[in-house]
Amino acid sequence: MPPVRRFARPAGLLVAALLVASVAAGCSSGGGASIKVTEPWARASSMVAAAGAAYMKIENTGSEADALIGASSPAAATVEVHETVAMESEMPSASDGMGMESPMPSASDDMGGGMMGMRPIARLEIPAGGTVELMPGSYHIMLIDLNQELKPGDKIEITLTFEKAGDVKVTAEVRES
Amino acid sequence: MSSPPYSRTSAGKSRTIRAVIATVAGLRRPCLLLSFVVAALVGACGGAGGAEPASPTAVPAPTPPPLGARETAYDPPRPAPALRLTDQDGRPFDLASLRGRPVLVYFGYTHCPDVCPTTLADVRDALRLLDDPVGVVFVTVDPARDDAPAMKQYVDYYQSGFSGLTGSEAEIAAVADAWGVSYAKLESASAAGYAMAHSTDTYLVDGEGMLRHHLFFGASPELIAERIREVAG
Repeated sequence: MPPVRRFARPAGLLVAALLVASVAAGCSSGGGASIKVTEPWARASSMVAAAGAAYMKIENTGSEADALIGASSPAAATVEVHETVAMESEMPSASDGMGMESPMPSASDDMGGGMMGMRPIARLEIPAGGTVELMPGSYHIMLIDLNQELKPGDKIEITLTFEKAGDVKVTAEVRES
Repeated sequence: MSSPPYSRTSAGKSRTIRAVIATVAGLRRPCLLLSFVVAALVGACGGAGGAEPASPTAVPAPTPPPLGARETAYDPPRPAPALRLTDQDGRPFDLASLRGRPVLVYFGYTHCPDVCPTTLADVRDALRLLDDPVGVVFVTVDPARDDAPAMKQYVDYYQSGFSGLTGSEAEIAAVADAWGVSYAKLESASAAGYAMAHSTDTYLVDGEGMLRHHLFFGASPELIAERIREVAG
Protein backbone atom coordinates (compact mmCIF):
# COMPACT_ATOMS: atom_id res chain seq x y z
CA MET A 1 0.00 0.00 0.00
CA PRO A 2 1.49 3.39 -0.92
CA PRO A 3 2.61 5.14 2.27
CA VAL A 4 0.47 8.23 1.70
CA ARG A 5 -2.78 6.31 2.00
CA ARG A 6 -1.69 4.61 5.18
CA PHE A 7 -0.88 7.97 6.77
CA ALA A 8 -3.72 10.09 5.45
CA ARG A 9 -6.37 9.11 7.97
CA PRO A 10 -4.20 9.02 11.12
CA ALA A 11 -2.53 12.30 10.06
CA GLY A 12 -5.90 13.93 9.50
CA LEU A 13 -7.17 12.75 12.88
CA LEU A 14 -3.95 13.94 14.50
CA VAL A 15 -4.33 17.39 12.96
CA ALA A 16 -7.94 17.60 14.08
CA ALA A 17 -7.11 16.43 17.59
CA LEU A 18 -4.21 18.87 17.94
CA LEU A 19 -6.31 21.78 16.73
CA VAL A 20 -9.01 20.95 19.28
CA ALA A 21 -6.35 20.62 21.98
CA SER A 22 -4.78 23.95 21.06
CA VAL A 23 -8.09 25.78 21.34
CA ALA A 24 -8.83 24.12 24.66
CA ALA A 25 -5.41 25.09 25.97
CA GLY A 26 -6.24 28.80 25.86
CA CYS A 27 -4.44 29.72 22.74
CA SER A 28 -5.47 30.35 19.23
CA SER A 29 -3.99 30.46 15.78
CA GLY A 30 -5.28 32.54 12.96
CA GLY A 31 -3.36 33.45 9.87
CA GLY A 32 0.23 33.97 10.95
CA ALA A 33 -0.66 34.96 14.53
CA SER A 34 -0.64 32.63 17.49
CA ILE A 35 -1.65 33.94 20.88
CA LYS A 36 -0.66 32.48 24.23
CA VAL A 37 -2.04 33.96 27.45
CA THR A 38 -0.31 33.20 30.74
CA GLU A 39 -0.64 34.12 34.41
CA PRO A 40 -4.16 35.58 34.21
CA TRP A 41 -5.42 36.96 37.51
CA ALA A 42 -8.06 39.36 38.72
CA ARG A 43 -8.07 41.62 41.71
CA ALA A 44 -10.60 40.95 44.43
CA SER A 45 -13.32 43.59 44.44
CA SER A 46 -16.09 44.27 46.88
CA MET A 47 -18.38 46.64 45.08
CA VAL A 48 -20.83 45.34 42.57
CA ALA A 49 -21.38 48.88 41.33
CA ALA A 50 -17.73 49.65 40.70
CA ALA A 51 -15.22 47.97 38.50
CA GLY A 52 -12.67 45.20 38.73
CA ALA A 53 -9.40 44.65 36.95
CA ALA A 54 -7.71 41.62 35.44
CA TYR A 55 -4.10 41.23 34.38
CA MET A 56 -2.13 38.70 32.31
CA LYS A 57 0.72 38.22 29.87
CA ILE A 58 -0.18 38.03 26.20
CA GLU A 59 2.39 36.49 23.92
CA ASN A 60 2.26 36.39 20.15
CA THR A 61 4.31 33.45 18.99
CA GLY A 62 3.26 33.94 15.39
CA SER A 63 4.90 35.69 12.50
CA GLU A 64 2.34 38.47 12.12
CA ALA A 65 1.31 41.19 14.52
CA ASP A 66 -2.07 40.76 16.16
CA ALA A 67 -4.18 43.03 18.35
CA LEU A 68 -6.51 42.66 21.30
CA ILE A 69 -9.72 44.35 20.21
CA GLY A 70 -12.27 43.32 22.79
CA ALA A 71 -13.21 41.12 25.70
CA SER A 72 -16.21 39.71 27.52
CA SER A 73 -16.90 37.83 30.71
CA PRO A 74 -19.86 36.35 32.51
CA ALA A 75 -18.53 38.16 35.61
CA ALA A 76 -19.33 41.65 34.31
CA ALA A 77 -21.82 43.43 32.08
CA THR A 78 -19.09 45.11 30.04
CA VAL A 79 -15.40 44.35 29.65
CA GLU A 80 -12.95 46.86 28.20
CA VAL A 81 -9.22 47.17 27.71
CA HIS A 82 -7.72 50.17 29.48
CA GLU A 83 -4.34 51.66 30.03
CA THR A 84 -3.13 53.61 33.04
CA VAL A 85 -0.92 56.51 32.02
CA ALA A 86 0.84 59.46 33.59
CA MET A 87 -0.91 62.75 32.90
CA GLU A 88 0.02 66.39 33.01
CA SER A 89 -1.50 68.46 35.76
CA GLU A 90 -3.33 71.60 34.76
CA MET A 91 -3.96 72.66 38.30
CA PRO A 92 -2.08 75.56 39.87
CA SER A 93 1.14 74.85 41.69
CA ALA A 94 0.65 72.86 44.87
CA SER A 95 2.91 75.17 46.84
CA ASP A 96 0.39 78.01 46.65
CA GLY A 97 -1.91 76.36 49.14
CA MET A 98 0.76 75.49 51.66
CA GLY A 99 1.73 78.96 52.81
CA MET A 100 5.27 77.76 53.44
CA GLU A 101 8.66 78.93 52.44
CA SER A 102 9.62 76.04 50.23
CA PRO A 103 7.24 74.26 47.90
CA MET A 104 5.87 70.91 48.91
CA PRO A 105 7.87 68.23 47.14
CA SER A 106 5.60 66.27 44.89
CA ALA A 107 5.79 63.62 42.29
CA SER A 108 5.22 66.30 39.67
CA ASP A 109 8.88 67.18 39.95
CA ASP A 110 9.75 63.83 38.42
CA MET A 111 6.62 62.68 36.71
CA GLY A 112 5.32 65.71 34.88
CA GLY A 113 2.26 66.61 36.91
CA GLY A 114 2.23 63.57 39.14
CA MET A 115 -1.21 62.44 38.09
CA MET A 116 -2.11 59.04 36.80
CA GLY A 117 -5.29 58.39 34.88
CA MET A 118 -6.67 55.77 32.62
CA ARG A 119 -8.42 55.55 29.29
CA PRO A 120 -10.09 52.84 27.24
CA ILE A 121 -8.10 51.60 24.27
CA ALA A 122 -9.80 50.11 21.25
CA ARG A 123 -6.85 48.14 20.04
CA LEU A 124 -3.82 46.78 21.89
CA GLU A 125 -1.19 45.61 19.44
CA ILE A 126 0.72 42.44 20.23
CA PRO A 127 3.78 42.43 17.97
CA ALA A 128 4.91 39.28 16.19
CA GLY A 129 7.22 37.36 18.50
CA GLY A 130 6.45 39.82 21.30
CA THR A 131 4.80 39.83 24.71
CA VAL A 132 2.56 42.50 26.17
CA GLU A 133 2.09 42.41 29.92
CA LEU A 134 -1.10 43.69 31.49
CA MET A 135 -0.16 44.69 35.03
CA PRO A 136 -1.06 47.18 37.78
CA GLY A 137 -0.23 50.72 36.70
CA SER A 138 -0.29 49.79 33.03
CA TYR A 139 -2.59 47.95 30.63
CA HIS A 140 -5.47 46.14 32.27
CA ILE A 141 -8.75 44.45 31.52
CA MET A 142 -11.52 46.43 33.17
CA LEU A 143 -14.58 44.53 34.35
CA ILE A 144 -17.46 47.01 34.49
CA ASP A 145 -20.72 46.50 36.39
CA LEU A 146 -19.70 43.30 38.08
CA ASN A 147 -22.32 40.57 38.23
CA GLN A 148 -20.72 39.08 41.29
CA GLU A 149 -18.38 40.04 44.08
CA LEU A 150 -14.85 38.92 43.21
CA LYS A 151 -13.54 36.98 46.21
CA PRO A 152 -10.00 35.59 46.55
CA GLY A 153 -9.94 32.08 45.14
CA ASP A 154 -12.84 32.64 42.74
CA LYS A 155 -12.20 31.73 39.13
CA ILE A 156 -13.66 33.91 36.42
CA GLU A 157 -13.73 33.28 32.72
CA ILE A 158 -12.68 36.03 30.34
CA THR A 159 -12.90 35.74 26.56
CA LEU A 160 -10.33 37.89 24.78
CA THR A 161 -10.98 38.75 21.14
CA PHE A 162 -8.00 39.24 18.85
CA GLU A 163 -8.03 40.74 15.39
CA LYS A 164 -6.40 37.70 13.79
CA ALA A 165 -6.44 34.94 16.36
CA GLY A 166 -10.09 35.38 17.21
CA ASP A 167 -11.45 34.41 20.61
CA VAL A 168 -9.18 33.14 23.34
CA LYS A 169 -10.75 32.00 26.60
CA VAL A 170 -8.80 32.37 29.81
CA THR A 171 -9.61 31.53 33.39
CA ALA A 172 -8.40 34.15 35.84
CA GLU A 173 -8.00 33.41 39.51
CA VAL A 174 -9.09 36.16 41.85
CA ARG A 175 -6.29 37.25 44.17
CA GLU A 176 -6.36 39.46 47.19
CA SER A 177 -3.77 41.84 45.77
CA MET B 1 11.02 3.99 -3.02
CA SER B 2 11.09 0.66 -4.70
CA SER B 3 9.65 -1.42 -1.87
CA PRO B 4 7.32 -0.63 1.00
CA PRO B 5 9.59 0.28 3.95
CA TYR B 6 6.94 -0.45 6.60
CA SER B 7 7.43 -3.71 8.42
CA ARG B 8 7.16 -5.24 11.89
CA THR B 9 10.57 -6.79 12.10
CA SER B 10 13.24 -4.83 13.98
CA ALA B 11 15.21 -4.36 10.80
CA GLY B 12 11.96 -3.35 9.20
CA LYS B 13 11.19 -0.91 12.04
CA SER B 14 14.49 0.91 11.69
CA ARG B 15 13.81 1.12 8.00
CA THR B 16 10.37 2.52 8.89
CA ILE B 17 11.87 5.18 11.12
CA ARG B 18 14.38 6.16 8.49
CA ALA B 19 11.64 6.29 5.93
CA VAL B 20 9.52 8.54 8.13
CA ILE B 21 12.43 10.89 8.72
CA ALA B 22 13.26 10.92 5.03
CA THR B 23 9.62 11.51 4.27
CA VAL B 24 9.30 14.53 6.54
CA ALA B 25 12.64 15.91 5.46
CA GLY B 26 11.77 15.39 1.85
CA LEU B 27 8.39 17.09 2.22
CA ARG B 28 6.82 14.31 0.25
CA ARG B 29 3.94 13.65 2.59
CA PRO B 30 2.11 16.91 3.26
CA CYS B 31 -0.32 15.39 5.74
CA LEU B 32 2.42 14.00 7.93
CA LEU B 33 4.42 17.22 7.68
CA LEU B 34 1.31 19.23 8.53
CA SER B 35 0.70 17.22 11.66
CA PHE B 36 4.31 17.78 12.75
CA VAL B 37 3.94 21.53 12.15
CA VAL B 38 0.68 21.72 14.07
CA ALA B 39 2.22 19.67 16.88
CA ALA B 40 5.10 22.13 17.06
CA LEU B 41 2.72 25.10 17.16
CA VAL B 42 0.57 23.54 19.84
CA GLY B 43 3.64 22.51 21.77
CA ALA B 44 4.70 26.14 21.81
CA CYS B 45 1.21 27.27 22.64
CA GLY B 46 -0.29 24.82 25.02
CA GLY B 47 0.24 26.07 28.52
CA ALA B 48 2.27 24.44 31.27
CA GLY B 49 3.62 21.61 29.21
CA GLY B 50 4.68 23.73 26.26
CA ALA B 51 8.25 24.61 25.42
CA GLU B 52 9.27 28.23 25.84
CA PRO B 53 9.83 30.06 22.54
CA ALA B 54 13.19 31.74 22.23
CA SER B 55 13.59 35.32 23.53
CA PRO B 56 10.16 36.94 23.20
CA THR B 57 10.47 40.71 23.12
CA ALA B 58 8.59 42.44 25.90
CA VAL B 59 6.79 45.57 24.76
CA PRO B 60 7.35 48.27 27.39
CA ALA B 61 4.21 49.23 29.29
CA PRO B 62 3.24 52.88 29.07
CA THR B 63 4.77 55.22 31.64
CA PRO B 64 5.70 52.79 34.41
CA PRO B 65 6.64 54.46 37.70
CA PRO B 66 10.33 55.31 37.76
CA LEU B 67 12.30 52.57 39.44
CA GLY B 68 14.33 53.71 42.42
CA ALA B 69 12.34 56.92 42.71
CA ARG B 70 9.58 55.54 44.89
CA GLU B 71 9.74 58.17 47.61
CA THR B 72 10.94 61.52 48.82
CA ALA B 73 11.46 62.67 52.39
CA TYR B 74 10.31 65.94 53.89
CA ASP B 75 13.58 67.34 55.16
CA PRO B 76 12.97 69.01 57.51
CA PRO B 77 9.53 67.62 58.44
CA ARG B 78 6.71 70.15 58.29
CA PRO B 79 3.24 70.25 59.83
CA ALA B 80 0.72 68.31 57.76
CA PRO B 81 -2.01 70.49 56.29
CA ALA B 82 -5.40 70.46 57.97
CA LEU B 83 -7.70 67.66 56.88
CA ARG B 84 -11.31 67.98 57.99
CA LEU B 85 -13.94 66.18 55.94
CA THR B 86 -16.81 63.71 56.42
CA ASP B 87 -16.07 60.07 57.15
CA GLN B 88 -17.76 56.93 55.85
CA ASP B 89 -20.28 56.98 58.68
CA GLY B 90 -21.31 60.51 57.80
CA ARG B 91 -19.50 61.99 60.82
CA PRO B 92 -17.04 64.89 60.87
CA PHE B 93 -13.45 63.70 60.69
CA ASP B 94 -10.30 65.59 61.66
CA LEU B 95 -6.85 64.20 60.93
CA ALA B 96 -5.66 65.68 64.21
CA SER B 97 -7.80 63.09 66.02
CA LEU B 98 -5.24 60.48 64.96
CA ARG B 99 -2.35 62.11 66.82
CA GLY B 100 -0.23 59.58 68.58
CA ARG B 101 0.08 57.18 65.66
CA PRO B 102 1.58 57.37 62.17
CA VAL B 103 -0.99 58.04 59.45
CA LEU B 104 -0.94 57.34 55.72
CA VAL B 105 -3.04 59.68 53.59
CA TYR B 106 -4.03 58.78 50.03
CA PHE B 107 -6.29 60.45 47.49
CA GLY B 108 -8.25 58.38 44.95
CA TYR B 109 -11.76 57.26 44.05
CA THR B 110 -13.80 54.08 44.40
CA HIS B 111 -14.43 53.55 40.68
CA CYS B 112 -10.69 53.26 40.11
CA PRO B 113 -10.03 49.62 39.16
CA ASP B 114 -6.26 49.66 38.90
CA VAL B 115 -4.14 52.28 40.71
CA CYS B 116 -6.17 52.82 43.90
CA PRO B 117 -6.83 49.14 44.72
CA THR B 118 -3.17 48.41 44.04
CA THR B 119 -1.98 51.12 46.42
CA LEU B 120 -4.48 50.30 49.16
CA ALA B 121 -3.60 46.61 48.93
CA ASP B 122 0.09 47.54 49.32
CA VAL B 123 -0.81 49.71 52.31
CA ARG B 124 -2.87 46.93 53.88
CA ASP B 125 0.01 44.49 53.35
CA ALA B 126 2.43 47.00 54.92
CA LEU B 127 0.19 47.22 57.99
CA ARG B 128 0.27 43.45 58.30
CA LEU B 129 4.04 43.71 58.75
CA LEU B 130 3.63 46.03 61.72
CA ASP B 131 2.36 45.58 65.25
CA ASP B 132 1.64 49.16 66.26
CA PRO B 133 -1.51 50.97 65.14
CA VAL B 134 -1.32 53.01 61.95
CA GLY B 135 -4.07 55.27 60.67
CA VAL B 136 -4.99 55.12 56.99
CA VAL B 137 -7.05 57.89 55.43
CA PHE B 138 -8.47 57.54 51.92
CA VAL B 139 -9.84 60.79 50.52
CA THR B 140 -12.03 60.75 47.44
CA VAL B 141 -11.42 63.09 44.54
CA ASP B 142 -14.81 62.03 43.11
CA PRO B 143 -17.37 63.15 45.70
CA ALA B 144 -20.13 63.13 43.05
CA ARG B 145 -20.12 59.33 43.05
CA ASP B 146 -18.30 58.62 46.31
CA ASP B 147 -20.76 59.53 49.02
CA ALA B 148 -20.38 58.23 52.60
CA PRO B 149 -22.14 54.87 51.97
CA ALA B 150 -19.94 54.25 48.92
CA MET B 151 -16.84 55.06 50.95
CA LYS B 152 -18.01 52.78 53.75
CA GLN B 153 -18.44 49.79 51.45
CA TYR B 154 -15.05 50.50 49.91
CA VAL B 155 -12.98 50.85 53.08
CA ASP B 156 -14.78 48.08 54.93
CA TYR B 157 -13.55 45.72 52.27
CA TYR B 158 -9.95 46.15 53.42
CA GLN B 159 -10.88 45.25 56.99
CA SER B 160 -8.00 47.33 58.25
CA GLY B 161 -9.71 50.28 59.94
CA PHE B 162 -9.22 52.66 57.01
CA SER B 163 -11.08 55.98 57.15
CA GLY B 164 -12.84 56.96 53.93
CA LEU B 165 -13.46 60.67 53.57
CA THR B 166 -15.77 62.63 51.33
CA GLY B 167 -17.37 66.05 51.26
CA SER B 168 -18.63 68.70 48.89
CA GLU B 169 -16.76 69.47 45.68
CA ALA B 170 -15.50 72.69 47.24
CA GLU B 171 -14.32 70.99 50.44
CA ILE B 172 -12.48 68.28 48.50
CA ALA B 173 -10.88 70.87 46.22
CA ALA B 174 -9.62 72.86 49.20
CA VAL B 175 -8.10 69.82 50.91
CA ALA B 176 -6.51 68.56 47.70
CA ASP B 177 -4.99 71.96 47.05
CA ALA B 178 -3.61 72.14 50.58
CA TRP B 179 -2.00 68.72 50.21
CA GLY B 180 -0.60 69.38 46.74
CA VAL B 181 -2.87 66.84 45.10
CA SER B 182 -3.97 67.33 41.50
CA TYR B 183 -7.01 65.69 40.00
CA ALA B 184 -9.16 65.98 36.90
CA LYS B 185 -12.20 64.34 35.33
CA LEU B 186 -11.50 62.12 32.30
CA GLU B 187 -14.46 61.72 29.97
CA SER B 188 -14.41 58.83 27.54
CA ALA B 189 -16.67 56.43 25.71
CA SER B 190 -16.12 53.84 28.42
CA ALA B 191 -19.20 52.06 29.76
CA ALA B 192 -17.82 52.80 33.22
CA GLY B 193 -18.48 56.51 32.76
CA TYR B 194 -15.83 59.07 33.56
CA ALA B 195 -12.52 58.25 35.19
CA MET B 196 -10.45 60.52 37.42
CA ALA B 197 -6.83 61.39 36.87
CA HIS B 198 -5.20 62.06 40.25
CA SER B 199 -1.90 62.31 42.04
CA THR B 200 -1.03 58.85 43.26
CA ASP B 201 1.26 59.66 46.16
CA THR B 202 0.83 58.35 49.68
CA TYR B 203 1.69 60.82 52.42
CA LEU B 204 3.18 59.65 55.71
CA VAL B 205 2.38 61.77 58.75
CA ASP B 206 3.97 60.98 62.11
CA GLY B 207 2.33 60.82 65.54
CA GLU B 208 2.94 64.55 66.10
CA GLY B 209 1.13 65.52 62.94
CA MET B 210 4.32 66.23 60.97
CA LEU B 211 4.65 65.33 57.29
CA ARG B 212 7.64 63.01 57.04
CA HIS B 213 7.52 61.09 53.82
CA HIS B 214 5.98 60.94 50.42
CA LEU B 215 5.69 57.52 48.79
CA PHE B 216 4.96 57.12 45.10
CA PHE B 217 2.74 54.61 43.35
CA GLY B 218 4.54 51.29 43.26
CA ALA B 219 6.21 51.63 46.66
CA SER B 220 6.31 48.10 48.08
CA PRO B 221 4.63 47.05 51.33
CA GLU B 222 8.12 46.47 52.75
CA LEU B 223 9.23 50.03 51.93
CA ILE B 224 6.03 51.52 53.33
CA ALA B 225 6.38 49.49 56.55
CA GLU B 226 10.03 50.49 56.92
CA ARG B 227 9.23 54.20 56.68
CA ILE B 228 6.39 53.84 59.17
CA ARG B 229 8.73 52.10 61.63
CA GLU B 230 11.21 54.95 61.26
CA VAL B 231 8.70 57.68 62.06
CA ALA B 232 7.08 55.67 64.83
CA GLY B 233 10.51 55.81 66.46
